Amino acid sequence: MEAESEFKEYYAKNMRGISGWFNRAYTIERWLYAAHRITGILIVLFVLAHFYSTGWHPGLWWDALLGIIVTFHTANGIRLILAELGFAVGKPLLIKKPSQRPVSIEGVQRYVVVFALVLFVVLAAIWAYYALIVQPMMG
Amino acid sequence: MASEEAKEYVLPPEVLEETVKASEELWKPVRKIKFRIYKYNPRKDYAPHWEEHELEVSRGMTVLDALLIIKGETDHSLGIRYSCRMGLCGSCAMMINGKQMLACQTRVLEAAGSGDVVELRPLDNFPVERDLAADFTSFFEKHRAVKPWIIRNDEVELNNPTGPYKQTVDEYARYYQFTDCIKCGACLSACPTAATDYEYLGPQALAQAYRYIVDTRDDGLDVRIPIVDTEHGCWRCHFAASCSDVCPRGVDPAQGIQLLKKLLIKRKFGLKPHKPAEALPAKVKAEKEG
Repeated sequence: MEAESEFKEYYAKNMRGISGWFNRAYTIERWLYAAHRITGILIVLFVLAHFYSTGWHPGLWWDALLGIIVTFHTANGIRLILAELGFAVGKPLLIKKPSQRPVSIEGVQRYVVVFALVLFVVLAAIWAYYALIVQPMMG
Repeated sequence: MASEEAKEYVLPPEVLEETVKASEELWKPVRKIKFRIYKYNPRKDYAPHWEEHELEVSRGMTVLDALLIIKGETDHSLGIRYSCRMGLCGSCAMMINGKQMLACQTRVLEAAGSGDVVELRPLDNFPVERDLAADFTSFFEKHRAVKPWIIRNDEVELNNPTGPYKQTVDEYARYYQFTDCIKCGACLSACPTAATDYEYLGPQALAQAYRYIVDTRDDGLDVRIPIVDTEHGCWRCHFAASCSDVCPRGVDPAQGIQLLKKLLIKRKFGLKPHKPAEALPAKVKAEKEG
């Protein structure tokens, strides 16, 4: 009986939960939001292991994956700092076009997104070079 | 005499004919579209189900037009909420093919795109009232929580105004964009943070808080800070910007929330203390005279 009422409540409340993070109907910022949260959780998990033994690291390809996670979180974090401190979101409009697109998405912030993604690729490539080529050579 | 005057305003026959022709063209059925509609009454049904209706649609037909035809002809029990039919009241927001839109402002063919199915659901993250109508009780509670009105401390001026409040265009431009909100609920529904945090104030309420805080007539910053500067307030926003993406009125709530954060940080560091209510009529008058 309790399960039935929970079942009913689930549909009546209509809350999306974590599945609500992933929706391809929206702009790229939505994907970056979800990816930022997931990479954040993964970094916390790694840091727990890192606290247990600071010398531990996952190894060759996993090191490169760790690099992707950390560099994405860093690059997107810079974008978020700029946006959330109000530097990249533009000013409120006095005159709107009939089908006005939001300035906070399609203004300066778009360039910051591109900058963050380029920074991510560059940092991840450097990290991967060290993890996959330099580190094994050094033994 | 009256009929002669009236004759002057009658459209020339060729213009009238052209107008009728254009109108016929606009309302001529062009394609058959399948509507998948979410049916659920939480008081009666065990679980929701989908119903399908096929309709010949024309170029000018909006989703709301189609829903009213379905309600009138095939399914009289369909629960929808609508009022003005022109994008001003915000009653008919719903999920159209997975995205929050106003049913009265979205054309069926535009929503269907190259496909032939239009899927209609009630707004995500809102309790279902019935079928496509969502329950807005908590949404309006959150809106009310940020005190969306002008707060003044000078009771004497408030009760016996000495003149109108003066505002420059720049001061007006700071908040004008946010006054266009029609409270349709699309932003809160699109917000990924609201999908997991039930107590989050949401983009609509926070943008309205910013709208009143930056209004030069308002003196309620200290009253609103304990409401917005909390765990479930503006710091919960992580800029997914979906609220601004779906807003049918171009309000850009995401921008309002980030600017609200900027204002709070500046205030905490004492960089730019907020100076409200500079445009007090009595003060302006005294300065002019003095």
